[in-house]
Amino acid sequence: MSSDTLNLTLRVWRQAGPDKPGGFCDYQLEGVSTHMSFLEMLDVLNEKLIAAGDEPVAFDHDCREGICGMCSLMINGQAHGPDRGTTTCQLHMRRFASGETITIEPWRASPFPVVRDLVVNRSAFDRIIQSGGFVSVNTGNAPDGNCIPVPGHRQEIAMDAAACIGCGACVAACKNASAMLFVSAKVSQLSILPQGQPERAGRVLNMVAQMDKEGFGSCTNTSECEAACPAEISVSHIARLNREYMKALIFADR
Amino acid sequence: MSALLRILGLPALFLSKVPGLGSVIRALSTSVGQKLLMATSGLSLVDFLIVHLGGNLQLYAGEEVFNAYAAKLHSLGPLLAIAEIGLFSMFALHIGLAVSTAAMNSTARASSYAMKQTKQGLFVLPSGGASNWMMVTGLLIFVFLVSHILDMKLKKGFGVSYPPAAADAGDATNAFQNVKAVLQHPPHAILYFVCLIALGIHLSHGIRSALQTFGLNHKNWNFILRWTGFLLAWAIAGGFISVVAWALAVKN
Ligand code: HEM
Ligand code: FES
Repeated sequence: MSSDTLNLTLRVWRQAGPDKPGGFCDYQLEGVSTHMSFLEMLDVLNEKLIAAGDEPVAFDHDCREGICGMCSLMINGQAHGPDRGTTTCQLHMRRFASGETITIEPWRASPFPVVRDLVVNRSAFDRIIQSGGFVSVNTGNAPDGNCIPVPGHRQEIAMDAAACIGCGACVAACKNASAMLFVSAKVSQLSILPQGQPERAGRVLNMVAQMDKEGFGSCTNTSECEAACPAEISVSHIARLNREYMKALIFADR
Repeated sequence: MSALLRILGLPALFLSKVPGLGSVIRALSTSVGQKLLMATSGLSLVDFLIVHLGGNLQLYAGEEVFNAYAAKLHSLGPLLAIAEIGLFSMFALHIGLAVSTAAMNSTARASSYAMKQTKQGLFVLPSGGASNWMMVTGLLIFVFLVSHILDMKLKKGFGVSYPPAAADAGDATNAFQNVKAVLQHPPHAILYFVCLIALGIHLSHGIRSALQTFGLNHKNWNFILRWTGFLLAWAIAGGFISVVAWALAVKN
């Protein structure tokens, strides 16, 4: 019978501030329930640290149900841990074995500076969205739901792209710290739908320009992002971004 | 890194000042634009390799056929020179962009992970697929290129004893015998073999990657595209390797 508790060694990245030097600290954690989520396990660690008068480990989280994209952790060298299509908050401790050492690091990318310990600043993504990830709609009466016809399969593709939660796992996992999967999901989602047409050409040009300005790497089509993405966004969206970019470059009337 | 990037960016900076070119050059200077140019130059080099392999395989038809082909090629004169200039600019563009995008990437991932694993499937090569070996294999291709031009074009290959040119033949030396002299020199055979394996690896990612960069990705086609890229890569590399093997196998 497998036991319901684990004894773990946690190797956690500790860093007091953005410009402070960082390093790993080892913590022993005994009696971790296998039914806990990964974040609950970190809560237990922090309670223990606080009780001992130590600084708790800073980590990001919000919804704890896989929709907000805040819980960005590199767990044993994998963005959001070992499972596909799973965020850190959805990862359960039963995935680990007693006696294991778990290495926990923040996302590492120059455009995502470490704020403290495991928390990074992902505002670069917000600025990319501001540069083009929107549609302009004149307000007024709410339009009838089906007055703009969109074929079902197009809705599905747009929805698949819109599943991106902006967590940054694609950047974290990519050997080039490239943000192409994120940007391509945002470009795709709007370029497929009629509402996205007016800003279509400008959107892709501006978002790519902003992506570069933030200092993300370039895409080498390694597909590591797709494997790491908790929302399972496909690299076919990167191909769509490339098509959009070429079209904008050649045909854009702007 | 940033100094390197600035130097590599000089041609683009200069061209963007040419009236009427500015916006196009700027759009081609972004990360996506650079990848489009890399894919274009890479696929042009692949085209060249296919033609070049077609020429080399005529070695199998014997000395006369091959030398006639070589003579015909040289008789093109200025056309050949133009093609060579085009070829070298494709190499320069491709290598320049490889260095420039790699510099961008290492700046973006300034500090690395203590531990890194992947969720992708099994790989034949250590540390991931061919895509993680593009720089290494690209460099080997470059080494090959330098040696190849010395060996075959300038006929100054290190340690190779070329057959004496016929007194009345001018610069039309016996191409067939020259190829054999180079490839029968063991250090050259080894270098060529290793670098051609590197070429196969480079192209096995490069061709598919270029197609994705050009936006070719569709679930109905991906199986065919992936295998076309892989098989074409190894058909090219294998074709050249067969020439090396042939030279070692034939007598005198
Ligand atoms: C001279 C040395 C070379 C170097 C240093 C070099 C380097 C590189 C690098 C770093 C990449 C980007 C990797 C990626 O996108 O994953 C690349 C891509 C590529 N290379 Fe090369 N390469 C060289 C020669 C060649 C040659 C001779 C060919 C063709 C015969 C070639 C064909 C390609 C293709 C088709 C791509 C994919 C383009 C893309 O989608 O970005 N390369 N190369
Ligand atoms: S905490 Fe919201 S996705 Fe994990």
